[in-house]
Amino acid sequence: MRQRSLIAITAALAAGALTLTACGSRDNGKSSDSGSGGTTVTIGIDAPLTGDLSALGLGIKNSVDLAAKTANKQNYVKGVTFKIVAKDDQAQPSAGQQNATSLVADNSVLGVVGPLNSSVAQSMQKVFDDAKLVEVSPANTNPALTQGDDWQNTKTRPYKSYFRTATTDAIQGPFAAQYVYNDAKKTKVFVIDDKKTYGAGLAATFTTEFKKLGGKVVGTQHINPDSKDFSAVATQVKNSGADVVYYGGEYPQAGPLSKQIKATGAKIPVVGGDGIFDPTFIKLAGSNATGDLATSVGAPVEDLDSAKTFVKNYKAAGYKDEYAAYGGYSYDSAWAIIEAVKKVVDDNGGKLPSDARAKVTAAMQNVSFDGVTGKVSFDEYGDATNKQLTVYSVENGAWKAVKSGTYTG
Amino acid sequence: MAVSGIGPVEPGEGTHARDTHSDGGALDPRGVRPSDSPPRKESWPRRHRRIALAAATACALLAGGGYLYATRPQKPAPAPPPFPSQVVDLTYLGQVTPAGGSSPRAPRFAMRLSVSHGPPVTVTRIGQPSAGITMSSTPAPPFRTKAGSVRKIVITMHVTDCGKVPKNAGLPFVDVTLRNTRAMEEHSFIPGSRYAHDLSTALQVACSNETRHHQNA
Repeated sequence: MRQRSLIAITAALAAGALTLTACGSRDNGKSSDSGSGGTTVTIGIDAPLTGDLSALGLGIKNSVDLAAKTANKQNYVKGVTFKIVAKDDQAQPSAGQQNATSLVADNSVLGVVGPLNSSVAQSMQKVFDDAKLVEVSPANTNPALTQGDDWQNTKTRPYKSYFRTATTDAIQGPFAAQYVYNDAKKTKVFVIDDKKTYGAGLAATFTTEFKKLGGKVVGTQHINPDSKDFSAVATQVKNSGADVVYYGGEYPQAGPLSKQIKATGAKIPVVGGDGIFDPTFIKLAGSNATGDLATSVGAPVEDLDSAKTFVKNYKAAGYKDEYAAYGGYSYDSAWAIIEAVKKVVDDNGGKLPSDARAKVTAAMQNVSFDGVTGKVSFDEYGDATNKQLTVYSVENGAWKAVKSGTYTG
Repeated sequence: MAVSGIGPVEPGEGTHARDTHSDGGALDPRGVRPSDSPPRKESWPRRHRRIALAAATACALLAGGGYLYATRPQKPAPAPPPFPSQVVDLTYLGQVTPAGGSSPRAPRFAMRLSVSHGPPVTVTRIGQPSAGITMSSTPAPPFRTKAGSVRKIVITMHVTDCGKVPKNAGLPFVDVTLRNTRAMEEHSFIPGSRYAHDLSTALQVACSNETRHHQNA
């Protein structure tokens, strides 16, 4: 009987021990959100967080925040905790430049994600480059930012601290032209732009390729981005006999423009770039937007398993705003900075060196990882090596992917 | 006070000093000498309690084991294979001139198709979108390429209508239909400026007056 008692007690203790072990094994997969403490590295963000383009800007901010939290949770860079500081540029170059100066003054900032607008980037690049502070834009597509103003003839990288995960309008414009001319079979285009760096540049690359393919430009016009009344331009489009409109600009103007063109009786599609690829365009353009087209950087989310994980985690994080067109690219931009910081810390015996900014900028050139949007790495100009684009069409009140392409040149 | 750290902190097996009474008799676990315990028959409730304890322990073990089994770390479900367009790369190698020469109206270009990972990918169609040109390839679709392998493809442009040929396209497409165990996809590859240059030059030659004159002669 005594032996039985001992067996019973031993069994009870074993059960208890096993239960404790089970609890312990579950805990092994969890890490503290605060990372391992030690050094705090700030990832700066510059984007339009208020105003017409805030839907895109808030998606950028939240996606960077998710990347920082993920790195902390995984204790990805030992001894380093990442935090974010977000600045609102309101899509204005002057505000962007002030933000750049402010971020440079904060010594804990070792990398910046942003901006959204190419025109804003132009005002920030030199400020960051003088401070050797790396900048990774998830959204800028103007070729000159990485390849110089004379990029069509001679490519020269103006700033070694500037990188981007989005592909350029040197590809996006021709990609759209190929689709519009060859697939959509449109041959007479009316080209409109908003006179800004992004819009005018994209319209130019589209126009060049469209003409090379044999298409005709039956009219051109510029709009004032501060206006919402485009009735005069819409009438010109109607009278031109165009069978398609190409608009270089962003959705706050593109939506009303499409609506007002349709209102003249011209039942022709409006085509734009990644700047109009947002659900807000469809809301602004109204029910007649069906058939309007947009190109955007990257492959459709549904084709990328890595993006599905990002989408799931983004929803789980409970952000109020959508990740929008550049969410995946913003996460990858932030993660590129995290990878560069990791490389610098690992190479310096687990600590940040005194010239961390310069070293992080140098490390960025060789960063390579499998990101949300595919393989993330940069070429000699700081451009993304992953150059995918997709054409989307408005169908049943939503954007639907109709054709994807990969630049392999 | 500092602890020296010398000597066993806890008694090991066989190092217990036996608790003894003054007469040297060992105590049982209840602290009672066997010789002191009056022999008595175990009562039913007492036996019942022991049986219940043993049963409860067995149940606890079973439940614990079942819980551990149910919550054991499991391998996540295998990820689905990648979409074919995400693993295929098509790059331009150069213009091909056969030993016996080629027809100017049927220029040939070599491409390299590779599959980086995942299940094999079958190219079921290869073409290009411009009017006035048809395309054929060697090997002819369908052809299958395994992950990690590279296949050379030679495409031939057949000019059918010079009036519709884009003679100076900046970024011409090569359209393919790809299939693997995950999906079938239409995808465009843009082989870049060198291909664009070679293609434009070849198409200008194919549609030049000289070529037409030569062919008509």
